Amino acid sequence: MDIRRMMILSLFVAIASILHIVESWFPLPFPIPGVKLGLANVVSILAIAFYGWREALLVALLRVMIGSLFGGTVLGPSFAMSMGGALISTAVMAYIYQYHRSIFSIVGISIIGAVFHNSAQIIIAALLVVSTGLLWYLPYLILFAVLTGAGTGFTAAYLLLKIPRDCL
Amino acid sequence: MSKAKVNGLKILTKADICLIGLLVVIAVGGIGLGMNRLASSGSGALTAQISVGGTIKQTVPLREGYRQEIQLKNGDHYNVIEIVNGKIHIRQADCPDQLCVRSGWIGIATQQIVCLPNRVVIKIVAAENDLDDIAR
Repeated sequence: MDIRRMMILSLFVAIASILHIVESWFPLPFPIPGVKLGLANVVSILAIAFYGWREALLVALLRVMIGSLFGGTVLGPSFAMSMGGALISTAVMAYIYQYHRSIFSIVGISIIGAVFHNSAQIIIAALLVVSTGLLWYLPYLILFAVLTGAGTGFTAAYLLLKIPRDCL
Repeated sequence: MSKAKVNGLKILTKADICLIGLLVVIAVGGIGLGMNRLASSGSGALTAQISVGGTIKQTVPLREGYRQEIQLKNGDHYNVIEIVNGKIHIRQADCPDQLCVRSGWIGIATQQIVCLPNRVVIKIVAAENDLDDIAR
C-alpha cells in the first residue's frame, strides 16, 4: 500500500469517524432504535468508488470502532448494531457498484445501502432483545432510509464530480 | 469511472425510480399492516409484559384506577416503569440514548416500548376474553 493511498484512507477514516460521532448528537424525532442519518455512508461510497470493497470495508470497520470509542458505546448493543449495519451496507453497496453500476446511479446505490443499514440494525436489535415485535418498526425505517439514502447519495455524487481524480 | 455514471445529480436512472417506488410501496404497506394489527387487536383485558433479554420478568394489569411503580434492575442498569390508569411508560432509565423514556405513554394492545441498551421490552397484550380478570 503506497503512502499516498494510506494517507487518503486515514483521512477517510477520520472524516467518517467525525460524521459518526456528530450524527449521534442529533436527536431524531422518532423514538425507534436504529434510526440514523447515516452521514458516514458518504465516505463509504467515496471509498468504494475511489478504491474498492476491501478499502471501503476497512474504512467502515475502523470508523465504527473509533466512533464508538468516542461515543462510549464500545461492545454495547449499539456497537453491535452500528458494526453490523455499516459492514453489511458497505458490502452491498460495493457489490452493486461493481456489478450493476450501469443500472443504478450513485443515489440508487446509496438508497440501497441505507435500507440495508437500517434493516440490519433493527434485525440485530431484535436479536439482542429477543423480540420479533421490533420488526414492526422496519417499514418506518425503510421509509426513512429512502430519504436519508437519497440525501447522502446526492452528496456523494456531488463529491465524486468535484474531487479531482489526480489528487488520489 | 466515467463522468456520465457519476452524474446522478441531474438524472436518476429508471432503476433508481423503480427502486424508490418499490421501497415506498413496501414501507407504506408495512405501516398499513402495523396499523391494521393495532386496530384489530383483541378487546379483552390488557396486560403489559415486561421482559429483559427475552424472558418475561413481570406482567402487570392495565386498568382504570390501577397504579404501580416498578424498579426494574438488570445488572448495573435500571429502568423505572410507571403504570397509571391503564397506561404504562418508562419514567427514568440509565441508558445513554433515552429512547425508552422519550417513547412516552402506551396503552393499546401490540404497542411496545423498547430500551435497547438495557434489553428491556414492554409489550401490551390483550386477553382473548375477560376470563383472565376473573381468574385473577
